[in-house]
Amino acid sequence: MAAVYQYDEIDRTFVNERVAEFRDQTRRFLAGELSEEEFRPLRLRNGLYIQTHAPMLRVAIPYGLLNTRQLRMLAHIATHYDRGFGHFSTRQNIQFNWPKLEQVPDILAELATVEMHAIQTSGNCIRNVTSDHLAGVAADELEDPRPWCELIRQWSTLHPEFNYLPRKFKIAVTGASADRAASAVHDVGLHLVRGPDGTVGFEVLAGGGLGRMPVIGKVIREWLPQGELLAYLEAILRVYNRYGRRDNIHRARIKVLVKSLGVDEFTRQVDAEYLANRAVAPQVADAAMARLRASFAPPAYQQLADHDPTAGAGAPFVAWYRHNTRAHKVSGYRVVFVSLKKHGEAPGDMSAAQMEALAGLADHYSFGEVRVTHDQNLLLADVPQHALRELHAALAPLGLATPNIGTLTDMICCPGLDFCSLANAGSIGIAKQIHERFDDLDYLYDLGEIQVKMSGCMNACGHHHVGHIGILGVDKRGEEWYQITLGGSATGEVSLGEVIGPAVARHEVAATLARIVELYLERRESEAETFLQAVRRLGIAPFKERAYAADTVAA
Amino acid sequence: MRQILSQREVRADRWRYPEEAGGGPQVHTLAGLTAAVGAATPVGGELGVCLGPTDDVALLAPHIDRLALVVIHFEASGDGRGYTQGQLLRQRHGYQGELRAAGAIRRDHLFLLARCGFDAFDFDSREDPQAALAHLERYSVAYQKAAGTLVRPRQRP
Repeated sequence: MAAVYQYDEIDRTFVNERVAEFRDQTRRFLAGELSEEEFRPLRLRNGLYIQTHAPMLRVAIPYGLLNTRQLRMLAHIATHYDRGFGHFSTRQNIQFNWPKLEQVPDILAELATVEMHAIQTSGNCIRNVTSDHLAGVAADELEDPRPWCELIRQWSTLHPEFNYLPRKFKIAVTGASADRAASAVHDVGLHLVRGPDGTVGFEVLAGGGLGRMPVIGKVIREWLPQGELLAYLEAILRVYNRYGRRDNIHRARIKVLVKSLGVDEFTRQVDAEYLANRAVAPQVADAAMARLRASFAPPAYQQLADHDPTAGAGAPFVAWYRHNTRAHKVSGYRVVFVSLKKHGEAPGDMSAAQMEALAGLADHYSFGEVRVTHDQNLLLADVPQHALRELHAALAPLGLATPNIGTLTDMICCPGLDFCSLANAGSIGIAKQIHERFDDLDYLYDLGEIQVKMSGCMNACGHHHVGHIGILGVDKRGEEWYQITLGGSATGEVSLGEVIGPAVARHEVAATLARIVELYLERRESEAETFLQAVRRLGIAPFKERAYAADTVAA
Repeated sequence: MRQILSQREVRADRWRYPEEAGGGPQVHTLAGLTAAVGAATPVGGELGVCLGPTDDVALLAPHIDRLALVVIHFEASGDGRGYTQGQLLRQRHGYQGELRAAGAIRRDHLFLLARCGFDAFDFDSREDPQAALAHLERYSVAYQKAAGTLVRPRQRP
């Protein structure tokens, strides 16, 4: 049984009523009873955008967890309502680019049959809560964040007071020492940590975010008792709802409020609201948490010994094992990344046939569960080590075993000009150019871990600010140009990348990257020094100089 | 005469908004309220006030038991400050009188407004209050506790 939250009667009734409401709203819009302006916030709160070619529907995958019944439903929707594929996003959701507006209520009704929805995946409200893709299986975890994510999902779903915020609001929760959820660049980041008396509570960060004004979140509470989580979140949201700016969409995120008040004054206001609201604030009931924790109980692991599956294996398996699998906290098991970064495919895209096939493999090898990562890959969290060679043999012909996880070609990328009406840049085309330039796996492995993150516009859906190498599409008199940043990171020591200089022309992007990484190979202290470490040690000056030296590497 | 939805009934409004002439009790602006309270209001005279999205409801606290009507004006349907104003009036300031949402509101906002303590609705002119009424029952369940009593969705214990 997959460790995915199971709906009870309340959840089922709610999503069905939501579908009925949206069906009625769509009918009224098509009948002219609702204006485009009135329909827009309603459809956005059901994940529906109007894009370049057609509507785009963003379906929620709460904190990235899917059971195989749900994955098969996504394949069904891709086949019957779209053009046979879906696009996994950096916020652990999935987007369909070709649905028909009048069919969206039917799609939502089909999703509801497998306990899924598209609620609050857009709009100025609390968005899908995100988390660590290694939750429950990472050795460095203090406490599983998923029950807390589900608690927040329910609390934030159609919250009566916070459905019309100044701007979107994103919450990430982690329970491990390594932050794999980029929580410092969220409106609120929650870290499960031990308090002074040893009890586990939350460290609370606020005011982080990317977009036009990237900011790293500040700690506003070093330790909050777990039972106070919703009371404290309500205080933060209430201060934001009252005082966040609404006059300028680009100044409306909570980070602007935190910055303009100063973190101390913002914290004082939140604390004052928290205290003033004690009599009526929501408390987290132990019984409710016990029910949620039970939803994420570990699967029925077998007693297995660790062993090295590379012994006697061929080179393709060994490369895949090294790059696409990770340690598991239970002996005899391994975490497997399913790469959606095959050369020739848009990062994060997956066909219906691949989804169907992967659902079968997940049922067979990983307790019927699939996860979506922040890097637009999928993950099978609980694979027995003895089954890895079989699994690799099954994934490879599906095009899902490209051994490039963590390497330069494991890029994250927004849909860009090809689909999005906001984009300045064809980020998918740039991804192909980079794949072509860096097609030698041994060279990629020599470069080691490099995160390339690419956004088609200032809204930063591709998180370019926190890429070791960031690429931002900019428009110059109707032409696509690309601004490059170096030294960003969303994990560990969080940092924002620095712009190296003038934007480069479209055909120069991969060649410029090639010059930058060439300099890294020349100047690194040893193979143990990663690209990010080298950028931090050397500063961007030598990289900048090399990046624009057009002759160094033949273009 | 203006038709409003009040306590699940569509009825003619007996109040006069700040700019309006004619009969019926007067709704004051926040600035006008102090003067009205200070003046020798007739005994039993009803007191009403209209707030904009940036007005602090705490300023009503000294008069809370005398107020018979608070109108929260929604300038745009996406401006959610009124929802917090409603919750605060009901939960923190113990306001018991009519709490009316007015302005850019349609049936699609009704359920959440009622959850936040609103019990009267002066809709956008294109909305049919009678048709909107059924939308109070749009959801039979909810995940959160809230101030409103006009709707009582089922919740987990």
